[in-house]
Amino acid sequence: MTHRYIKIGATAVVLVGALAGLMWSTLREGTEYFKNIDEVVTNRPAWEGKRLQLHGYVVPGTWVQRPNSLDYKFKVQNNPARQTTSGGVVDASYTGILPDTFKDEAEVVLKGKFGPEGFHVEPNGVMAKCPSKYEAAAKSASAGS
Amino acid sequence: MASLGSFLLLAAFVVCSYAAVVSVVGARRRSRRLIESGVGAFYLIAAIMSVASAVMINAFLTDDYSIKYVAHYSDNVQPLFYKITSYWGGLDGSIMFWVFLLSVFGAIAVYVNRERHRELIPYVVATISTVQMFFLYLMVVHKNPFTTFLTNAPADGQGLNPLLQNYWMAIHPPSLYTGFVGMTIPFAFCIAALITGHLDDSWLRAVRRWTMFAWLFLTFGLTLGMIWAYEVLGWGGYWGWDPVENAGLLPWFTATAFLHSVMVQERRSMLRVWNVTLVITTFFLTIFGTFMTRSGVVQSIHAFGEDPMLSRLFTGFMVIILTFSFGLVIYRLPLLKARNELDSWMSREAAFLVNNWILLFSALFVLFGTMFPTLSEAIVGERLTVAGPFFNKWMVPIGLVLLLLTGVGPMLAWRKSTIRNVVDQFLWSTVAAVAGGGLVVALGVRLWSSGLCFALCAFVTGTIVQEFWRGALVRRKNTGTDLLTAVIGLVGRNKRRYGGYIVHLGIVLIFLGFAGNGSKKEEYLQLKLGGQATIGAFTVRNDGVKVSDDGQKQMVTAYIAVFKDGKRIDSMYPSRAVFHKHENEEARSDPAIRRSLAEDLYLVLAPDTDFGTQTIWLQAFVNPLVDWVWLGFGVLAFGTGIALLPERAYSFALAKMPAEVATGAITLLLLVALGTTRLSAQMHVPGATGSIPPVKNALEEQLREEMGCLCGGCAHEALNKCTCSTAQTMREQLRAQIDQGKRHDEIVQALVGVYGGQHFLTAPIDKGFNRVAWLFPYVMAAIGVTAIGFAAVKWSRHTDAQPPTFTATANPDLDERIDDELRDLD
Repeated sequence: MTHRYIKIGATAVVLVGALAGLMWSTLREGTEYFKNIDEVVTNRPAWEGKRLQLHGYVVPGTWVQRPNSLDYKFKVQNNPARQTTSGGVVDASYTGILPDTFKDEAEVVLKGKFGPEGFHVEPNGVMAKCPSKYEAAAKSASAGS
Repeated sequence: MASLGSFLLLAAFVVCSYAAVVSVVGARRRSRRLIESGVGAFYLIAAIMSVASAVMINAFLTDDYSIKYVAHYSDNVQPLFYKITSYWGGLDGSIMFWVFLLSVFGAIAVYVNRERHRELIPYVVATISTVQMFFLYLMVVHKNPFTTFLTNAPADGQGLNPLLQNYWMAIHPPSLYTGFVGMTIPFAFCIAALITGHLDDSWLRAVRRWTMFAWLFLTFGLTLGMIWAYEVLGWGGYWGWDPVENAGLLPWFTATAFLHSVMVQERRSMLRVWNVTLVITTFFLTIFGTFMTRSGVVQSIHAFGEDPMLSRLFTGFMVIILTFSFGLVIYRLPLLKARNELDSWMSREAAFLVNNWILLFSALFVLFGTMFPTLSEAIVGERLTVAGPFFNKWMVPIGLVLLLLTGVGPMLAWRKSTIRNVVDQFLWSTVAAVAGGGLVVALGVRLWSSGLCFALCAFVTGTIVQEFWRGALVRRKNTGTDLLTAVIGLVGRNKRRYGGYIVHLGIVLIFLGFAGNGSKKEEYLQLKLGGQATIGAFTVRNDGVKVSDDGQKQMVTAYIAVFKDGKRIDSMYPSRAVFHKHENEEARSDPAIRRSLAEDLYLVLAPDTDFGTQTIWLQAFVNPLVDWVWLGFGVLAFGTGIALLPERAYSFALAKMPAEVATGAITLLLLVALGTTRLSAQMHVPGATGSIPPVKNALEEQLREEMGCLCGGCAHEALNKCTCSTAQTMREQLRAQIDQGKRHDEIVQALVGVYGGQHFLTAPIDKGFNRVAWLFPYVMAAIGVTAIGFAAVKWSRHTDAQPPTFTATANPDLDERIDDELRDLD
């Protein structure tokens, strides 16, 4: 009987160990840090290459599109535009379709990585919300359970 | 009306507490009268909730904006259908709808089982009532859907979120809730069995059907959610591992596990603790899922927003459920001992056990992934998130193993399979798998997971076909009929088993759709007016952009011509719509989808349209095999339906008529079904000109407005707006009538004859039968009131000396068991 328990125990340890190891390794690649801009601009080199979800506001008037393409460049800042100080500012680049709610001053969450020339947003990595949308989302019904 | 609603909720709460208390007291004192009083009160809750629901629907139909909830989720221009579905469109109403469903299902479950499981009933009543009390409490103290504006009520509401104004989204929540709520019934029976100690298999028999039923609706709800995401959200996919989606998936895993392990307990009296645990976990996960999406612990696009009070209440409730249920399990452990041990790993029970572990692991994994941001914030202090790729990395291999087990499990014998046995069972299906795998590699699939998935699909299909084939051959020999009749007879004689195989076939088709995802193509296309671009086998051409407004929304529609192999095959109309009441929000993009079994062409219009030059940006996807997911669900539902069919009804029907009649009937039905799909496949095809001829007089203008296009592809647009060819024909028919000089009502009458009904009208004629739609709430209220009266009369009558009715039930399990043992003999 004890022999059997040892066998079961050993199997369990190996299985759990393997799962935990796999989980650890995939988590290391799979996780994204959710950060405000001020939290990263102070120590940018440390964040280079890490997957981030960057939270900020579009700086008014900085949003440009290369003609006949879906390449965009814009700046995002830490604080909402109505505040007097902007906080940290980051250059961002993106290729793809921007949501309609992406406008000047919009609150955005950008998924991507820091590269040498700024924050590079991955495809479909722009989530924008305007204040009313945010409120509506809170009330709205996603019926989803 | 609002105060009546609030009062009904309060009353329901009071009746619930009475039902719970009196049932427990009655059971402990063995007082038949107290128990019956509890059951009566339990039926009463269902009646009260029906009336309350009627009040709510009535408020929506009569545009009673003094109720805040109505003002938030409805407005004057909302179509009737969405007014009714707005009932469950928001948080407060969805909780109320939940209680309503639970009370009705509970009443049915108690009514059906009141004689057969008499000893369990009082505790079932008590458990369900307690759950209802929690939700009613939530409403009464915190989220009353009948809250009114204290001062002046608005003249018009804000309207349902445009994204939710979709047919699929309207029926998705009820279906999902039916699944969730249905899981409460097994839980209640489980708790009752644990409390009373009647832990033989009889409670399982009472709940197996309920679990299957709830599981079906859960699956249906998840599928509807996927269809909605695919058709409305416009990102070209259907599953994004969003917390709200995951919340529905969690109980699905454990319920699926339970449906399998319950068979092991029935056959081999093993896994008893396990089954009890699964039932409790499933119920817990339904509550947890609700908590996750309603309280704002997890951020999501479509969660309901933050609410600390709600999250505290839910946490308390969940702690109580867990402590109480698992405390009971531990207390009853001696009674839950297994009577058998696992004989061999080469047995069906072992395969089911492995399947259970994997399903449970999946549930835990998805739970972990979903809660990861919250967990990491609590432990490390940093908000870390995991996204789709992380889930896929884990769930793809897990799914493939599950698919393999789908094929392997049912083929293994109970207790122990011999090597010969295994070779005999898996030879052909393995050949099929290798052939299938080889074929897709030859066709150029290079992604390992897709290739393996195709091979496994072939394998599982092989095992299922083989099982039907062998069974049918045996039956044909025994009964001497043709093969098709033999198959039908086979299914009829052992519905659970063959129904199960059909469900597995559905799962295979769904996986086929998933595998197709591996060769998905996505591209951004810039199209000048008349410009062309190619994606996959398709070429698309921009034929221009049109702006239109129908009062509720402003639409931008692109006219796209689709070519394949140089031939024009279709026209597509991706569009974006800004709803006037939601102008600050993101426009709703209505992707155009060209469906086919091989691949879908999916076009999304980007917001960067340049109206001057009519240059547009399209996000184009080619999604291979997507439609097999929905088809697979259809097959799955059919299989579940067969497994759910009551034993007696089917055999009775079969006994009455010769078997060949059944075959004929089913073949006919299939033909009819195929015919209808052909019909419904007619698409919305705008005429070449896209213009609408001018009206002749005011009458024609009025009638064009009143008549809706019947093509089925354009949301029943009025004839003065719709540009498709069907509308064109209808306009010509209308003109013909007008030219005959008829008056308004005469024309309508004549057209009712032409179209065979008044479905062509945008609003039903307000008379006779059509008032039924408006009568609906009142009818429901009347039914509720009658039920209350009926309950009161029945309740007051003394029915102590009722002889127990004895129903002789043939044991279908016995048949199945003999079948299996015989099979194992050779």
